[in-house]
Amino acid sequence: MSKKKGQEKVFEIKWKTDLPYRYSIGKLAVKFFEELKENKKIMGSKCSKCGKVHSPPRAVCAECFIEMTVEDMIELSPRGTLEGFTVVNYPFTDPNTGGLRPFPYGYAIFKLDGADTYTMHFVDETDYTKLKVGQRVEAVFKEKREGNIGDILYYRVIKNED
Amino acid sequence: MDHFEGINFSELMCGIEAAPGYLKPVVKVATGGTTGSSLAICGYHNVASGIYNNVLVIGWEKLNEGGATTGIITAFDPVWERPSLAGALGPLALMAGMYSAKYGITAEQAAKVTVKNRSNAANNPFAHLQMPNITIDYVMSSQMISYPLRLHDCCPQSEGACALIYANEQETKKITDNPAWFHAVETAHYYTFGTDDKMYDLPTATIASKKAYKKAGIKNPVKDLDVAEIYEPTSWSELSWTEALGFCKPGEGGKLLDEGITQMSGEFPINPSGGVLSTNPIGATALVRVAEAATQVMGRGEKRQVPDVEKALAMGFGGSLWTEILILGKEPLR
Repeated sequence: MSKKKGQEKVFEIKWKTDLPYRYSIGKLAVKFFEELKENKKIMGSKCSKCGKVHSPPRAVCAECFIEMTVEDMIELSPRGTLEGFTVVNYPFTDPNTGGLRPFPYGYAIFKLDGADTYTMHFVDETDYTKLKVGQRVEAVFKEKREGNIGDILYYRVIKNED
Repeated sequence: MDHFEGINFSELMCGIEAAPGYLKPVVKVATGGTTGSSLAICGYHNVASGIYNNVLVIGWEKLNEGGATTGIITAFDPVWERPSLAGALGPLALMAGMYSAKYGITAEQAAKVTVKNRSNAANNPFAHLQMPNITIDYVMSSQMISYPLRLHDCCPQSEGACALIYANEQETKKITDNPAWFHAVETAHYYTFGTDDKMYDLPTATIASKKAYKKAGIKNPVKDLDVAEIYEPTSWSELSWTEALGFCKPGEGGKLLDEGITQMSGEFPINPSGGVLSTNPIGATALVRVAEAATQVMGRGEKRQVPDVEKALAMGFGGSLWTEILILGKEPLR
């Protein structure tokens, strides 16, 4: 019996390798995640020279080369504006878990009120016809927060803002 | 590139079987999507500096053992970016949407890019997706991959390789009487953190191309250049990049296409090879742009040849929104 090309039984050896490593997130990010976990606050960092507010907080202002410290961190609003979005609708292996990333999911960038740079995260909408650049959004926090970016579950579109 | 081929240090195979590197200096260059153009620029520097007389530059990708999306995610910040980032297509989709919202570019105009490039690919025996009869409807009714990108707005995952031979002026005479000459090479970086960027255009393409035009004495790229091979990972990107490269004004990428200027029969054909939308072996892709630009300059493009090419532009684009530009000419730049 002839087999079609690509259907031949192949010799296979399977294995799994763990590659653990430590990644230094810096003092500002530590403060960010502490505030997020303990107080449900979103913090940014403000450049002392140009006044640009970075969200997420950055340790160096890319435009001024000015170093920012924990003292330069300010609280941002959990609300902001949708600046760009897509609905990811294709399968791929998530390197953070080793498994398939659940899809479809809304992926967007926002400008939080008080921030000058974009924040990138999930948006709780998989129907792209319901999303529009300029819409108002707000962060939805996890009840039991652990101190990672997943503590913000996603951003959702605000229907009627006060 | 590491992560895409399922093995790190794949250049260790360059000894005998894959490439004639045995007992010779072998240098690996990997810069993401720009790998091929970085290779091309490094090859130029190695020969133009007088260090080597002849250099063989090879770019390749063997994607089926890796997974481009997964590999690309690992290039980004594990804490802030990886959890929501979906490889290259997610951010490119986001950029396409922002570009469209800003300038009113339509899905139909984007689809026309795919039709142009995949039809061009039918003239290129090395192209992966050759679709001579592709229509706008076919592109616009394909599956939504990541709004506004449909399946046929996106480049494929290809396997392939590309090699270029570099030689100094003396050595060139021994090889060919019809070489392509380097006029300018430029690299522009802009990136500090993914979300610092404007995202609706490509500032690095503007920075790199302006510098390259100055070096090569190009005042009006559409008139002074004869053809361009640009790195368009999506149909929308080609429209946006043509603006960033100064082929038209900001917001007029759709108009440039609608006027037929970038078609094979137009004044300034873009991607006669079929471009990245037709063939994308990532580590080779930007080198293919340079090889195709050289092919055009040497008049060896056969069915995809643009008539009377004196000067050609090649562009590399990478994941951290950086750009590399190379300008080649039929005669040396004096």
